[in-house]
Amino acid sequence: MSFLSRLRRVPFWSWIWFLVGALYFILPLFATFEFSLTWDPAIPFKAYQRSFADNKFWETFIYSNVLAVATIIFSIVLIVPTAYWIRLRLPQARRIVEFITLMPFVVPAIILVFGLIRIYSTPFSIPFTDIVFMQPLTNFKAGTNILIVSGYMVLAMPYMYRSVDTGMRTVDIRTLTEAAQSLGANWFVIISRVILPNIRSALLSGALLTFAIVVGEVTLASFLGVNAFGPYLFLLGQHRAYEPAALSFFSFLLTWLAMGLIQLVSGGQGQAAGAH
Amino acid sequence: MSYLSLSNITKQFGDTVVVDDFSLDVEKGEFVSFLGPSGCGKTTTLRMVAGFEMPTAGRITLDGADITEKAPNQRNVGMIFQSYALFPNMTVAQNIGFGLGVRKEPKEMISQRVEEMISLINLENHANKYPYQLSGGQQQRVSLARALAIHPQVLLLDEPLSALDAKIRVSLRAEIRAIQKKLGITAIFVTHDQEEALSISDRIVVMNAGLMEQVGTPFEIYNFPQTQFVANFVGSLNTANAEVSDPVKGLLNVDGVQFITASDIKSRKKGDAIRVSVRPERFSFAFEEKKENVLDCTIENITFLGSVVRIQVKIGEAKFNMDTFNNPFLDLPKIGSKEQVTCSREAVLVLDE
Ligand SMILES: Nc1ncnc2c1ncn2[C@@H]1O[C@H](COP(=O)(O)OP(=O)(O)OP(=O)(O)O)[C@@H](O)[C@H]1O
Ligand SMILES: [Mg+2]
Repeated sequence: MSFLSRLRRVPFWSWIWFLVGALYFILPLFATFEFSLTWDPAIPFKAYQRSFADNKFWETFIYSNVLAVATIIFSIVLIVPTAYWIRLRLPQARRIVEFITLMPFVVPAIILVFGLIRIYSTPFSIPFTDIVFMQPLTNFKAGTNILIVSGYMVLAMPYMYRSVDTGMRTVDIRTLTEAAQSLGANWFVIISRVILPNIRSALLSGALLTFAIVVGEVTLASFLGVNAFGPYLFLLGQHRAYEPAALSFFSFLLTWLAMGLIQLVSGGQGQAAGAH
Repeated sequence: MSYLSLSNITKQFGDTVVVDDFSLDVEKGEFVSFLGPSGCGKTTTLRMVAGFEMPTAGRITLDGADITEKAPNQRNVGMIFQSYALFPNMTVAQNIGFGLGVRKEPKEMISQRVEEMISLINLENHANKYPYQLSGGQQQRVSLARALAIHPQVLLLDEPLSALDAKIRVSLRAEIRAIQKKLGITAIFVTHDQEEALSISDRIVVMNAGLMEQVGTPFEIYNFPQTQFVANFVGSLNTANAEVSDPVKGLLNVDGVQFITASDIKSRKKGDAIRVSVRPERFSFAFEEKKENVLDCTIENITFLGSVVRIQVKIGEAKFNMDTFNNPFLDLPKIGSKEQVTCSREAVLVLDE
């Protein structure tokens, strides 16, 4: 089916609300963009040229993107089976899990990071002995990466869980599972070939939100002392005027581009899932 | 030993007994329906055969093997759901091929089988469509093909036609029955629609509140209901309280009017209270010479039901419905007029308690 004919099926009011929502997001973005062009009227993209010339920008930006991808992958691995199992077998656990996923709204990131540092800056030892079997996570690079990705998973949990859970509500997960089981499928096949493809758009929106959170995150990154994009931008913002605006706009653009690409690649037949 | 056998199956959810001591033997190639009102445990029983629920007590065997504790994906059982349950992300062909793909069958074999199934359900031009592009009836046919593709040992259908409109329901049920006969597949069909059960089944299991009320052919179930429940649930029915007046001759007293029955009531005593039933279509006006059960009555009400006309008559103090076929020349009595109706002694059924 062509993209246009699919568009035509969306009713008028949906479009109006979509435009209103889009304006809300696009206006500030546009303002930022416009400001970033005003540095030197002779060279409109001066702020961009300067920013891209800085190696630190590329370093931190790529690093943050890798963190975001890692966070998304581990979040999906953790949350999809959890939400699935709750829908399927443990509906009574839903309230508790929903409460847990809301914790990041109640507990500020600063408290989370101090908690993480406090616990993981001491060596792991066997209780009541002096035998140390692992150095503190904060002491080496891989350990810090584990810590920060775990922290981001916590921050992204409300968005990820809710997206996935809503996605599962729109398709009848339980009956689809039973249909697949009676056809001989095991759990791995059911999750990978039946559940995941049918909650693809929900996963995508969860991933998008996670991306947005991780790439701009400052608190966790600066207190754990990693060279992420958030602290870099923050630092830049304290000393410069135009570059931060340019970079904010650029990172937004890139994130959206990446998401659009995923949508395009995984799209096509994926639309079948939602249309009922 | 029969092909599929459920022996003394009991299922409890917490303290509630949902299925109670259910035993059934199904022969290979047989089409058995579970018929009963909502909540009587039909789905639960079916789900135990599919492996989605574990019986609290009892065994299930299939082709000689005990499958009571086998996981659903280890049983070779096809399941059809009321909501079709097609995978929305897959085309018709992919849906049908899913089970074979899971079994790691070779590619050519899968596509050959899929083609075979698609022509079985007459959807040749829809192989590459997605479920949302199909009508409900087409979707249910795809789900039938998907279940049959894996050569299941038993086909289980849980109210597969309930979500469809009346016309499709009738044509699809004939199609299901034809395919089932053609393939010689053993099937269990759950429904709460008595007409559906009567028209499609080799045998019907009438269930009520977790209990098996009666098992028999549609003919037996309809014509010889053994319990009050079956009599009421299957077909429309007259029931009345009666008193035994002569157990040997089969004479009964129904609200002051004498009936004669062919049912065996020799074990009862004179004066025993029993319940009798007569199907509405077994009554007729007593025009010709009749010797038995010629009953004086008053016409109470007349209702057109399309092909039949239902006349409510009062015999003594008891009210009965009488059905006659409609035709343009039907000479109907007036409401309130006095007439005589009759029924054969075989039509007067004595129900078990
Ligand atoms: N998982 C469950 N937990 C507790 N009770 C259940 C469960 N599943 C079914 N029941 C109860 O068991 C009884 C029988 O349910 P079942 O679904 O077998 O009925 P049914 O005959 O299929 O009815 P219907 O015609 O409405 O589909 C119902 O009272 C239902 O509430
Ligand atoms: Mg049911």
